[in-house]
Amino acid sequence: MRDLKHLIYFENLLQEANNELVQKAKADGKRAIGYTCYFMPEVLLDLPGCFSVRLRAPRCTSPDIATYYMSARVCHYARSLLERALEGGFNFLDAQMATETCTATCRFQEHLEQKHLDSVKDMRIIDNDDFFCSFSDVPFKNNPIAYEHFRDQLRAHVLDELKARFGIDTSDAAILAAVEQQNEVSRLINEIGDYRKLDNPTITGYEFHVIQLVSLVCPKYLILPYLRETAEEMKTREPDRKKEFRCKVVLAGSENDDPEFTKLIESCGARVVCDRYCYGSMESRQIIRIPEGEDPLLAIARHYLETSNCPRFMPQDEMRARKRRIAELAKEYKADGVIIASNKFCEYWSYERVIDTVILRRDFGLPVCSIEKEYINSASGQLRTRFQAFVESVEIKQIQEEGK
Amino acid sequence: MCKFGKFLLKFCGVLLLANAALFCVFFFDLDGKLLFRVVEPFLKNHYDKMERKDTLKAPYEIDKFPEYSYDS
Amino acid sequence: MAKRDIKKALRDFWYGKPHSAEEGGRRLGDLHEDKTHLYKHREWRGVKDTMYYFYMIWLYNYIFMVKDVMVMGGLLNFAKGVWRYRWVGQTYLPVLHWFDRGPEGMRGEAMKASAWHYRAMVSTTIRQFQRMFAADTRLHGGKQNELYKHTIAHNETVWGGVFYPWDGEITNVPLEMIPYFVTCHVNSHTVLNYIDAVQSIGLPGDPCPMCQAEAGIFVLDDVPDYAPAVVTCNEACDASVSTSTLQDWFFDKPLFSLPMAMQFDDPLVKKYCAREIEELWKFVEQQYGIPFSWDRLVRKLELQNELQRFEWEKWEVDVKTSYYPINGVAQALYRIYQTQYGDWEIWHVTDRKVRRIMEKCVRKKINTFPQTRHRVIAWSCAPLYYSNWCTWAYNCWGLNVVINMDSLMFDMEIRTDSYEHALEDMAQYHLWAPMRRMAVGGMKHMFELWEYMEKFNCDMVAMYDQLQCKGVQGLHGLFEDEFRDRNIKAFWIPHALPDSRTVSRAEIRSLINDYMTTVMHEEPLDPSLLDFDDSMTW
Repeated sequence: MRDLKHLIYFENLLQEANNELVQKAKADGKRAIGYTCYFMPEVLLDLPGCFSVRLRAPRCTSPDIATYYMSARVCHYARSLLERALEGGFNFLDAQMATETCTATCRFQEHLEQKHLDSVKDMRIIDNDDFFCSFSDVPFKNNPIAYEHFRDQLRAHVLDELKARFGIDTSDAAILAAVEQQNEVSRLINEIGDYRKLDNPTITGYEFHVIQLVSLVCPKYLILPYLRETAEEMKTREPDRKKEFRCKVVLAGSENDDPEFTKLIESCGARVVCDRYCYGSMESRQIIRIPEGEDPLLAIARHYLETSNCPRFMPQDEMRARKRRIAELAKEYKADGVIIASNKFCEYWSYERVIDTVILRRDFGLPVCSIEKEYINSASGQLRTRFQAFVESVEIKQIQEEGK
Repeated sequence: MCKFGKFLLKFCGVLLLANAALFCVFFFDLDGKLLFRVVEPFLKNHYDKMERKDTLKAPYEIDKFPEYSYDS
Repeated sequence: MAKRDIKKALRDFWYGKPHSAEEGGRRLGDLHEDKTHLYKHREWRGVKDTMYYFYMIWLYNYIFMVKDVMVMGGLLNFAKGVWRYRWVGQTYLPVLHWFDRGPEGMRGEAMKASAWHYRAMVSTTIRQFQRMFAADTRLHGGKQNELYKHTIAHNETVWGGVFYPWDGEITNVPLEMIPYFVTCHVNSHTVLNYIDAVQSIGLPGDPCPMCQAEAGIFVLDDVPDYAPAVVTCNEACDASVSTSTLQDWFFDKPLFSLPMAMQFDDPLVKKYCAREIEELWKFVEQQYGIPFSWDRLVRKLELQNELQRFEWEKWEVDVKTSYYPINGVAQALYRIYQTQYGDWEIWHVTDRKVRRIMEKCVRKKINTFPQTRHRVIAWSCAPLYYSNWCTWAYNCWGLNVVINMDSLMFDMEIRTDSYEHALEDMAQYHLWAPMRRMAVGGMKHMFELWEYMEKFNCDMVAMYDQLQCKGVQGLHGLFEDEFRDRNIKAFWIPHALPDSRTVSRAEIRSLINDYMTTVMHEEPLDPSLLDFDDSMTW
């Protein structure tokens, strides 16, 4: 396929958290607001005057000092973030909008937080006098009580903080403007992503992963022109005559901000056509709808709780529906199988993976490859072997079904 | 000695013997030894051999239960 | 035999051998068989204390355990339960050895008071499993009897108090407290079957082993079918949340989730939590057809407040005097059991007995732990399979664990003057659950350690290091830094909660021995306890 014009540029942007576009936005006088979790509404951090940066620690393979602070038995992602912060890689941040949604990233963010207590020292990791960290409580349910609670939390710990400290306009009009910008990004990402539904997709999973990531880590107003151009480019992109993949897969699971992992899967003969994981587009790029006359903040709170498929949700109907959701995605994207990848030490997805592996196979007839991965995985021979074996098993299944 | 007195004597004798026996069990941890060496291995063997259902075959109806939410 | 030897022998017979080596000590380590740690013979504590132990602890508890079994469900149900469920037969039959381990080496009032706590826990344990068996459809030909219809199951981390409005009508029995939590203390081997079972279906080995075991009892089909509905909770961590995914699959009953907010200091969350509790109440009414009763709720809350007030009185004695008659393990286990399970008659009976003992100690200025060299605060999540390490530590090194983190949970009374106040306080109480009161909601809670050290006059910290607890592991380095900066005497106790294979009891003792010799330069009170093999012990 013809190379995408901006792919190399996007790949370069992903090499550093403080990339060229982040630096430009800072130079424009905007405030950089960091976050780690989907439950922190990205749209609220993109209000006029600030921009959201979903944190990553690219190329961090040995978080040694972070391991001293957080031990080796904690998610590598959280440790890598702390390591990058200790290295000074996040000094550009003006704030961290934190959530206590998973223990490991919560502890990372608590390390960043200037607590001003006698009981424990402040490490002053972010070398920025204006920096603050604010925690919001996120409900474990998706119901009207939870929406109201979440709205109250976002108002108190996100909007009021941004307004008080940085003078950010948090009015309904400003929120609606941010929603409009976010929806444009989502439309473009979805438009690009829909090409994965073709019988012979005109975009690889790796390329899409890169594009989705830049939309998360770069200021929206600066990345939008590139996304528009890419969407335009995609309209005339022809697929390879000979399919370069042997099967299509949904990639589901926990935190995954490493496009090399997707590349690894695709190098084994699978095409990743759907990204149902943290940092994926399945949740984060759904259009936010604000009904006429409704409080935009309540609508946003509801949106983020309704669209999340995080295993953190506890209601019985929610727990069960998550499995169906993956199966529906497989059908929608015409996937032949599902790869469920959980980060080592991610407790939520360790359990979710166990049940998904059984139920998706048994009840939905989907081939499943269930793996545990590290934060950075490109050099993993073991994973390569697993994926190759999985692709072969899917092919065999297809041949057997064709034979019937 | 009257009948009641003899009975009382016998009863006290039995009580004393029982006490002594129980004290021996207590002091030499005979209860622990019996449980550890005989009872527990027997029961463990029984549990290990028990036929257990394959819980992975347990049904999982997605829509079996409603949303339990009352305050709307 | 020299006259002096005869005098000593008579004194030892009457009073029991003294504690320390210097005084010609008792050498507790010599009492045990190698590996099994069974007694060659139980300790002779002197005539008075040995007779008390024999009659009022050993015999009394055997008799009352049988009585409890007979009264609370009957011998037949008990026998069926033992035959069917591993966690009963493998664990609860040797429960007197659990008694032996906790107050080992103790004498006088401390032995008595600590043993009463164990008695209360055993009675409540029997009550729970007997209720499970009496209601269990598997033991009654598949029938859902009246007891089944009036029992509700819940995660062990759901505070039992949320069911107070149905006291007497519906009995709440935690799913995992008896099949899992208590078994770890009584027989550390039982739980290993469950951990292995859940790993055999694909769960990695790193999540909290408590949560692994809670799922594993279902994987091995070892949970009675005793209730038509279940309530789950997110306490205290991510793995607890995730465990309910598997539990729901295997239990397959109407399930209400009662997650509590993480950021519990935030005044905004209390209203939300209160509403969630009300939702739970509506679920219970819907499932059981029995209405909520405000009167029952108030009555139970006021009884619970009594328990809390006595706990504060105990702390007062603990802080200000050497007359506190409860050892570290009894303090920790009783407190967590009582507060988590909720109000029950046996707790009040026990507290009355302990009050009499404690008042006697204060009145007569009885130094209950005379060999105390260091007052220790135990912080973070304790090893369940070695909850009595603190008994060993006192006997060997004079380390008196006067308070622990879990005892400091639920540290509040609940107002009953109005529905709104009661609900608000219940929400707060539930937010302050075991482990989570310190482990979540901001690391500042974990660092309340210094405040409690000062409050309880402790000069040393036993820092539990649960290797598979992400919340605690995430603060390891900061604790190291703070211990160093504050020049605090602290030793780490690594463990894996219920899984004794990861860090054995012997390793824990070895670490403490190393610290006491190389850092503190102290000699053991009882050298026979320094190094022994208890690898096969319960």
